[in-house]
Amino acid sequence: MRILALIGKRLLWFVPTAAGLIAVVFFISRVIPADPAALLAGETASREAIEALRVKLGLDRPLLVQLLDYYRQLLKGDLGTSLFTTRPVAEDLLARLPATIELTLAAMLMAIAVGIPLGVVSATRRNSLLDHGVRIATVAGLAMASFWLALVLQLVFAMDLGWLPLQGRIAGFPPPAVTGFMTLDALIAGRFDRFASAIAHLLLPAMTLAVPALATVVRFTRAGVLDTLEKPFVTYQDAIGIPRALIVWKYVLRNALTSTITQIGLLFGILLAGAVVIETVFQWPGIGTYAFEAILQSDYAAVMGFTVYAGGIFMIANLLVDIAHASIDPRGGHA
Amino acid sequence: MLSRWCSRPGPWCSRPGQLSRRAVLPFFSLLALAAGLGLAPAGAAAQARFVFANESDYDTVDPHASFDVGRVAVRLNLYDGLMRWQDNPARLEPWIAESHSISSDGKTYTFKMRKGVKFHDGSEVKAADVVYSLERILALGKGAAALFKSMIEPGKAKAIDENTVAFELSKPSAIFLSIVPEIHIVNAALVKKNEVNGDWGAAWLSKNDAGSGAYKLKQFDPAIGFVGERFAAHFKGWGAKYLDEIEFRAVKDTNTRVLGLMKGDFNGIGGYLQTDQLKRIEASGNAKVLDAESMRVMMMQFNTTRAPLNDVDVRRALNYVFDYDGFNKNILGGLVERNPTPLPNTIWGNPKDVTGYSFDLDKAKAELAKAASKIDRPLEIHFLTGFAQSEQAAQLFQNGLQKIGVQSKVIGTPWPTIVERFSKPETTPDISVYWISTYYADPHNWIGEMFHSSGAGTFKNAHHYKNPKVDALLDKAVQTTDQAARAKLYEEATRLVVADAPGLWIYNTKWYGPYSKKLQGIVFCPIGNAQEMRTAYYE
Repeated sequence: MRILALIGKRLLWFVPTAAGLIAVVFFISRVIPADPAALLAGETASREAIEALRVKLGLDRPLLVQLLDYYRQLLKGDLGTSLFTTRPVAEDLLARLPATIELTLAAMLMAIAVGIPLGVVSATRRNSLLDHGVRIATVAGLAMASFWLALVLQLVFAMDLGWLPLQGRIAGFPPPAVTGFMTLDALIAGRFDRFASAIAHLLLPAMTLAVPALATVVRFTRAGVLDTLEKPFVTYQDAIGIPRALIVWKYVLRNALTSTITQIGLLFGILLAGAVVIETVFQWPGIGTYAFEAILQSDYAAVMGFTVYAGGIFMIANLLVDIAHASIDPRGGHA
Repeated sequence: MLSRWCSRPGPWCSRPGQLSRRAVLPFFSLLALAAGLGLAPAGAAAQARFVFANESDYDTVDPHASFDVGRVAVRLNLYDGLMRWQDNPARLEPWIAESHSISSDGKTYTFKMRKGVKFHDGSEVKAADVVYSLERILALGKGAAALFKSMIEPGKAKAIDENTVAFELSKPSAIFLSIVPEIHIVNAALVKKNEVNGDWGAAWLSKNDAGSGAYKLKQFDPAIGFVGERFAAHFKGWGAKYLDEIEFRAVKDTNTRVLGLMKGDFNGIGGYLQTDQLKRIEASGNAKVLDAESMRVMMMQFNTTRAPLNDVDVRRALNYVFDYDGFNKNILGGLVERNPTPLPNTIWGNPKDVTGYSFDLDKAKAELAKAASKIDRPLEIHFLTGFAQSEQAAQLFQNGLQKIGVQSKVIGTPWPTIVERFSKPETTPDISVYWISTYYADPHNWIGEMFHSSGAGTFKNAHHYKNPKVDALLDKAVQTTDQAARAKLYEEATRLVVADAPGLWIYNTKWYGPYSKKLQGIVFCPIGNAQEMRTAYYE
């Protein structure tokens, strides 16, 4: 009941947050001195032809009128049509969204699966050689430029060792999508060769994307565990003879994860942003590269559509974090 | 650590502290399988399959929605036109047209079409399809529409009979024939069947095929690219060897393209590469690099409306400041040819007696001393963001200016932004560094569109240059049908422009085509960048 109230309250906040986000991005995209009408009309177009196209696209109207029109359109579930692909933006984004989610989730899973145990071990062996090593590695992981790491991984695993593919989502041209998740589609089709190929293609980009997230998860888990280990209940549990491993992995970890979970929620947004670079280097056809192209071409509808989707995903991620908090820490105070 | 959570025998632990095979095997099997399959290159399924990695997206396969080199593979492989540019130097060949005639007033162009040419659905290509295609271009207003709109109005293309089509121009235009290849013929009946709310089938054709080209669309994913399969009934016929399937996919990262070619994932890659990348490709043993002189001129355009660049002596001084040989030979490793005028070296109408300006700081200082205007502010040099050569040229120019005591700022500007800035003289940068490519192989593509005052403010004309004598010569040239007479007019206009120095012209690009070693039959044409695959095959 308490969680339902929390969800209801958060959902109510979605509306003003989304409206504000859309307004900000709308005005930023319009003040950039670029002209989609000129781009669309082509290099050989006269000024008159460009002006005519601008009027046809409605770009000559006051910005506020254009924004209100966009809100109206959104309420009908219409994200508009891309100037350059001439297809509905929602259709373009939906075709690409599964690729980005698949990549981001894989990176997130890697970061959590490796990061939390590593953070716990690092904390329980504070100031050991292992702890120092982990701390140095996490600083390096955060500082490393992702495009550089991507290149190194490509050179080592794809070119020199030849273990993993260089780019793309699957060997050859992808089959028509069912869910858009390449791994899932392969399993639905019962094609385990395709499934393995999809996993192989996923490994390098997901690893590249996971490294900074992993570093963050390790650092926050380590700090949380260290803090919790100082609590009186740990001394009490030690005193009554509960095995050390049980104390650490069950009771301490549960209490220590609060800040890590908050970070994981934030990381989801950061991973989505990081996916733009990773998608470009590994030729991963997700919404990151779509947004990048849309910005370069001043394709306003596409830029706004990306904002709505990315904003929505980020808000849902935060809601999930709040729910996780409420479940882990029953004392409340998060609603 | 392991002993702590694997403390007693169970399904995952064979004995305390040791994982069982059952625990380890699935993980390593998956990795091994994934790694093994990852080794298979994208194009390994069939021998006669060609995979090309392009630097830009194939976001649409509508032939009338684009007029750029980036998506030319769609137009040249899936569609045909009445005429087509072929070879290098480019020559205009009848394609679906058998012959053409021009009326004595130069306003009516009539084309007789081949009979029996088939669309991919088996129906015959007729004159009505050509009429519909031109009307569609004009109505959509994209791609080459701006050029056509300046010559012909809607409703002025007529099907005289099933195989004869006539175009009635608003005024005589010698360049009409040059852009006729851009009327890519679509299957009118098929597109009309898929029109929604009078959209000329735009949504449908953006991801479907209605052409008659040598390849028909098999798969398209706007996030990836397209696959074409050989159209056996193509009217041009096929040789003994050919490619069964062609795949064009977008691979944005240059390094990934280069590595992919070297690894064998791709059989051809696009993009203008740097010297070291070309050397790496050749050294890989898997690939070769073809080359040809192209028609893409690198230049700097000066904004001639504002002091001090409204002074011809200042502009000439600037022409002596750029180290042409240093740039072309040292920085670009001799991969390009010096091009001293706005027209590419290889096209007719380019006066051979004009040698242009050279790098000579003494002459620059002498010109500056003569100038009525003084350079009393730093000049802004804008290069195109993301184009390394454009930035290198801007920096070299800045270095030269400094040597004659002129201060300057080098600024990177993305293409959409610079296009917007060109629209008004007051926002156009002092100096802009970029290229003008071949959209059609006629001198008008360069000097006509770059220096006629009516084109001021467009992408090709950031000079905002106005010279009534040049305007008159260009007007006459575009209305004259005799090529020899036109050549003389363009030569004279070029001499006037070079003397007025509204810009400086650096080099004509050499095209480099990195391909798999076993690929043969690639034919380069400046319009199309060798992406027409009809003649290609594997050894």
